[in-house]
Amino acid sequence: MATLKSIALSEIALCCLVLSAPWLCVAQGAQSATMTPPVTAGIANNSSPNIVDLPSAPEPANQIAQAGQADQTPATNQKQQGQTNQQQQNPQTTPSLGDLGFTPQQTQADAQMQARLNERTHMLKVHQTLGLITTIPMVATLITGPQAKAKGKNGQTIIEPTAANLDFHFALGGLTSGMYWTSAYYAIFAPKIPGVKPKGAIRLHRSLEWVHGPGMIITPLLGIMAYKQENAGEKAHGMASYHGTAAYVTTAAYAASIVAVSWPIHLKFWEKQ
Amino acid sequence: MNKRLLIALFLFALPLFAQTDTQWALDKSTLTYHMSHPMHEVDGASHEAKGKGICHAGQCNFLIAAPVKSFDSGDSNRDLHMVEATRGAQFPMVSVRAQFPEAAITGPTIYADLEVQFAGQTAHYGHVPLQKVTQGNEVQISGTVPATCSDYKIDRPSFLTVPIKNEIPVRIEMTWRQM
Repeated sequence: MATLKSIALSEIALCCLVLSAPWLCVAQGAQSATMTPPVTAGIANNSSPNIVDLPSAPEPANQIAQAGQADQTPATNQKQQGQTNQQQQNPQTTPSLGDLGFTPQQTQADAQMQARLNERTHMLKVHQTLGLITTIPMVATLITGPQAKAKGKNGQTIIEPTAANLDFHFALGGLTSGMYWTSAYYAIFAPKIPGVKPKGAIRLHRSLEWVHGPGMIITPLLGIMAYKQENAGEKAHGMASYHGTAAYVTTAAYAASIVAVSWPIHLKFWEKQ
Repeated sequence: MNKRLLIALFLFALPLFAQTDTQWALDKSTLTYHMSHPMHEVDGASHEAKGKGICHAGQCNFLIAAPVKSFDSGDSNRDLHMVEATRGAQFPMVSVRAQFPEAAITGPTIYADLEVQFAGQTAHYGHVPLQKVTQGNEVQISGTVPATCSDYKIDRPSFLTVPIKNEIPVRIEMTWRQM
C-alpha cells in the first residue's frame, strides 16, 4: 500500500513539474512585458550571450525571454538613432506591416514624388509671399487712382491731374502688374500632383483666378488707354473710362481670393505658441 | 487515486489554456490629427487604417498603420502640404505599435506603451491611457497620442510667418474584433 502511495505521489509530482512549465513560461512572458527603460534594455541585450550560455534554464521560458529582448532592442536603437528601421520581430507574436494587407503602392517610398512635393511647396510659398506683398502696391494704386483722374464734365473745363500724380499712379500700376504675374507664374508652374482633385478653400481661390486674372490684363490695358487720353488733354472716355471699375473689381476678387484660401479664420494671436 | 490525478491534471493544465494566442482584427477606425495655428484650427482624419493584434504569453502586441496621404482635412492643398512637410511620399505609412499586458484588457482603461513610426522617425509614448468599451464581440478603443512636430523632426508649417503649434495630438478611435 505504501509503495502504491509513493508511486502515486511521484506521478503527481511529475505531473506538477511538467504542467507547471507553461505557467513559468507565462510568468516570464509577463515579466518581459513590463516596460524596460532604454538603458536597462541595452544592458539586457548585452548580457544576452550569457543567458544563452546558461545550461539549466527551461527551454520555452528562455525562448520567450530572448523574444522579449529582440522586441526591445530595435526599439531602443530607434529611439537613440531616430531612424526608421524595419524591426526584425517574431511574426508569431508581433504583427508586422506585411500582415495588414496594404498594397505595395501604398507602402513603397517614392523619392521622386517627395521631390515634386518639395518643389511644389517651395513654389507655392513664393506664390503666397509675393501674392501678399502684391496687395501693397495694388491698394496704393487704387488709392492714387482718383488723383490721376481728370475731373470735370465733358463740354466744361476739365482739371487735368498733375504729371507727377499720373506717373506715380502709372508706375504703381506697372509694379502691381509685374508682381502679380510673377506670383501667378509660381502658382501656374508649380508641379501638379496627379490624382488629386481640388477640394476645400482652394477651389474658390482657383475660381477667383478667372476674375482677377483677366482683370489684371484688362485693367492695365484700359489704364494705358486712359493715360494716353489724359496726356492728350482729354478726359478718359470710351473703353478707357471703365479702367477704374475694372481696377476695383480686380482688387475685390484678389482680396476675396486671399481670404478664401485662408478660410475659415480663427483669430487667436493672443494665445501663446 | 485516479480522481486525485485528474484534479492535479486539470489544475495544472489551466495555464496551458491561459497561454493560448488570441488575435484581433481592426474593423473600423478613425485617426484624427489636430493642428493649431493662431488663425486656423484644423482636423485631418483617416479612415483607411488597418490593424492586427496578437496576445501571446500574457503580452499583447497591436499594430495599426495608415497611409499618410489618406488623412483628409477637407482641403486638398493643405493635405498635400501636410504630406510634403511630413515627408509622406518618402515614408508613406504611419504606424503605431501598442504593447500592454493581456490582463489589462479586462479593465475599462488600458495603459499602453506606444511606438509610433512617422516621417522617418520613431517616437515612444509610455503609459498612454486608452479607453475601452466592449459591445458584444466588438471592442471599441479610443485615446489620444500626445504627438508633437519635434518628435518627428517636422519643420512646422507656417502661415503669415507664424508657425503652427508644436503639439499635433492624434485622436484614435478603433473598433476591434477578436478573430
